[in-house]
Amino acid sequence: MKRYFGKILLVVVPVIAALVLLYPTYQASQLEQKERQAIAQAKKAGNSSDSLEIMEKFKKQYGEALKTAKARRLKLGLDLRGGMYVTMEVDVVKLIEESAQNETIDEIFKDVIAKTRKEASASDEPALNIFQRNFNNIARPQGKSLLNYFDVGDVREASEEKIIASLNESIDKAIDQAQEVIRQRIDQYGVSEPNIQKQGTRRIMLELPGVTNQDEMRSLLQTTARLEFKLVRNYKEIVQAFYKIDKLLSEQIKRGKGFATADPTTMLDTLKKDTTKLAQKSDTTKVDTTKGNQDTVKDPYAGLPPEEAQRRYALDHPFTTLFSTFFVPGKNQNIIPIYYTSDQFPEGEYIFRIPKDSIGKFQVLLNRPDVAALIPADLEIVIDAKPDTRIKQNQNIEIYDFYALKKEPELTGDVISSARASFDPTTNQPIVLMSMNTDGAESWARITGANLQKRIAIVLDNRVYSAPTVQSKITGGNSQITGMANAEEARLLEIVLNAGALKAPVQIIEERVVGPSLGDDSIRSGLNASLVAVILVVLYMIFYYGLGGAIADFAVILNVSLVLSVLAALGGTLTLPGIAGIILTVGMAVDANVLIFERIREELDHGRSMRSAIDEGFRKALSAIMDSNITTFFTGAILYYLGTGPIQGFALTLMLGILGTLFTAIVVTRAIIELLMAKGATSFDFGQPKIKSN
Amino acid sequence: MRYFKNPNIDFLGKRKLFVILSITLIIACVLITLIEGVEYGIDFAGGTEVAVQTTNPVATDQIRTAVSSAGLTGVEIKSFGEDNQYLIRTRESANAPELISNALTKAFPNEKITILKVDKIGPKIGSELRMQAFWAILLAVIVMLIYLAFRFEFIFGVGAIVALVHDVVLTFTIAVTLNNLGIVNLEVNLSILAAMLTVVGYSVNDTVIIFDRIRENKERHKGMNFIKLANLSINETLSRTVNTVGTTLLALFSLYILGGPVLQGFALIMIIGIILGTYSSIYIASAFVIWYMEKIKKIDLETGFREVIGVKPE
Repeated sequence: MKRYFGKILLVVVPVIAALVLLYPTYQASQLEQKERQAIAQAKKAGNSSDSLEIMEKFKKQYGEALKTAKARRLKLGLDLRGGMYVTMEVDVVKLIEESAQNETIDEIFKDVIAKTRKEASASDEPALNIFQRNFNNIARPQGKSLLNYFDVGDVREASEEKIIASLNESIDKAIDQAQEVIRQRIDQYGVSEPNIQKQGTRRIMLELPGVTNQDEMRSLLQTTARLEFKLVRNYKEIVQAFYKIDKLLSEQIKRGKGFATADPTTMLDTLKKDTTKLAQKSDTTKVDTTKGNQDTVKDPYAGLPPEEAQRRYALDHPFTTLFSTFFVPGKNQNIIPIYYTSDQFPEGEYIFRIPKDSIGKFQVLLNRPDVAALIPADLEIVIDAKPDTRIKQNQNIEIYDFYALKKEPELTGDVISSARASFDPTTNQPIVLMSMNTDGAESWARITGANLQKRIAIVLDNRVYSAPTVQSKITGGNSQITGMANAEEARLLEIVLNAGALKAPVQIIEERVVGPSLGDDSIRSGLNASLVAVILVVLYMIFYYGLGGAIADFAVILNVSLVLSVLAALGGTLTLPGIAGIILTVGMAVDANVLIFERIREELDHGRSMRSAIDEGFRKALSAIMDSNITTFFTGAILYYLGTGPIQGFALTLMLGILGTLFTAIVVTRAIIELLMAKGATSFDFGQPKIKSN
Repeated sequence: MRYFKNPNIDFLGKRKLFVILSITLIIACVLITLIEGVEYGIDFAGGTEVAVQTTNPVATDQIRTAVSSAGLTGVEIKSFGEDNQYLIRTRESANAPELISNALTKAFPNEKITILKVDKIGPKIGSELRMQAFWAILLAVIVMLIYLAFRFEFIFGVGAIVALVHDVVLTFTIAVTLNNLGIVNLEVNLSILAAMLTVVGYSVNDTVIIFDRIRENKERHKGMNFIKLANLSINETLSRTVNTVGTTLLALFSLYILGGPVLQGFALIMIIGIILGTYSSIYIASAFVIWYMEKIKKIDLETGFREVIGVKPE
């Protein structure tokens, strides 16, 4: 037995590996079915509290498992599950046009731009080169230079080369800005599992599963971003408003109206019970971020057991238990958690933090007219663009700050002339240097002067990227922003600020939408066809090669499972061309086994013993198998590097399949045959005519 | 199970006949293709393509009128799988999907119009993809030539490439011709490209198996007439050829019949390509090597073949 241990491992290990890697896919589909059942049950349930109960039970029992399984399962491409695929490109011509100073644009310049646009749409030459050529041909003979149209700041240092260099820089930065803006918008729109990738230096590729409303998505993607500076007003008045919202909602609950929101899908976000959990969650952050100081809060639930007190508090405060509130007593002092037990709140600044899971519900509530009416008319609630980096690093939970901002912006982003991430030479902390044009600098001096020690939020597309405190009156327009957690955050802020300086124009150049019904259809027919194909091949192999054929069938099926599991493990997606690649793999894998078996049968015909025929067969078939698979592998590799999207999917499965073929046909098939021959057998059924019996 | 017992078919005896047949077929198909032109799918041509489904079948003429009246140019209507599914194409790429769906809702108030898929390709992307396809095939051919020249004698590599070009050109022009004659819907698009590349791989694969056997037999039967040697090798691998081609065709026919509109074109190209690939390995690749040795190198095949395809010194 010991002699065969290695061979057994060769067979068992790949089988186990395939099973382990494919299990999440199976599990996810099972759990999703359970989820659908639960939703159906919940919808049928007579009253809302029952349906909440059902969903809550499901979440508690399977929520985590479903999340992990979904992350590790084999993902289906858009062609199989429906969705929208978009390629966007930075519109360089528009970017040049927008970089020119508005007041200087004349007919000559418009001519140059129009001609450039026409040529650029049909040529692979960089648009900036085309622009320069056209400018030289059209504008220059009329006595114009680039200096007439573009502003580069300091007049004494201005030169044409500088303008071209700065345009080039803007073009390079535009793609990052566009990507950040798009990522944020897609996030807010609520697409599940979006895939956003930069392609080369000018393009962004988006895969948006499940999105079928193309019109809405298109306008979402192509609207230019809006950068604004707004005053932070996290003061007593907003905390009092939150207190009133609590009162309103808790009374509604007590009157039995519940939280019925307009959107039926929010049923998943079951409210009543969730709030208890969230209160506990928020409490942990409170304890973690403060040191004691609990005695400042008067507790009307005193005397109750802690759990009961918590439950009662949550019931009475359905809104404010969604997030945590802290009071900032002063500089360099610990922040104090605030509970909404009375309507008396200290004067001063507050901080609000909300866990990611609660944001959806928080926004749904804020959008209700009766709730929105309680927020002071000149204020709006805006959430951070990214979770707090430090809390995320330390405790691994995603907590977002949110702010009450003055609705009217102090300044808009178009006054920014440049922004650059850097490091403070003395402290070595990441900083962002921001400079403004003359108009902007004047207003900025006035604004900063009037709001010393107050916070000003930098808002892009209605998300706060940073809310620095004004340390001094800034004249001359050059500001330095500090307090970023790391260089990455500083770089993001640089991108955001530049997005205000320059609205990166992007255009959709490729768009594919697969409707969910077509997705279903193609899955069904694709699967059916593949299944029939595999069954036919399996039967044929057994018919012609007997037991050998059955072993080959096992090897081929193992091969396909390995391809799928490696694909799942690599986080790849299975597309329709990918299925085609797998079918080709089946063909190649069968071919390898056919080559081996034919060779063995030939050797038997030459009168060799079974054992030596097997050895010779494998040995002689090897060169043909290697040569044919390697040439096909080359085709796959070239397709993978030159191709895009669907072609790459085909190439990837083809390459994986060839590696699998070499392994299963040469190693696994042989190990099985030798194991079966282990007990001194002298015959083996390769489907050869049985003339010689032994 | 066994189909052939020691087959000894004289494949190469009639090689001239088949070469003439192939050349005639290629000339005919290329001419037809040049005259009729290639119908590029949306991927390569650019424009917008919308697949819609109505509750009941409607007349394509009505769809055409409805869509054209919405101001779209170059409108084409094709069927897409089922009776009540249509593929609408236009050269415009701006906001064609909305225009089409609005026009149809207005023209067929009683039908529920479902959009099955939308493909909108800018003109630049189309030409880029065409170039990409061209380079992919060219590069694949070059890399294979290098590999085969390294593994076999150089002239074998050339023989394999000649057979490959034969397969690619014929498969492509046959597909284009079938499409032009309206027999099947086979426009040149990305999945056809993938299929063509698979044909490239398969064609070489098949040729390599036979060449591999020739290389081996050359050692075993030193001094044998090259034509006999090639014929012997083809016969010895015949069983493998039949079984592999058979199983692959089994798989491809099930894809063609059951795979739905998206996989069908792919499968058909593969079927044509694989049949041609098998045929060309025997009649084109081997015939080319024989022709080269006979006519160009002026080698007496009875005695002198080893100078050309001799084994590389160990």
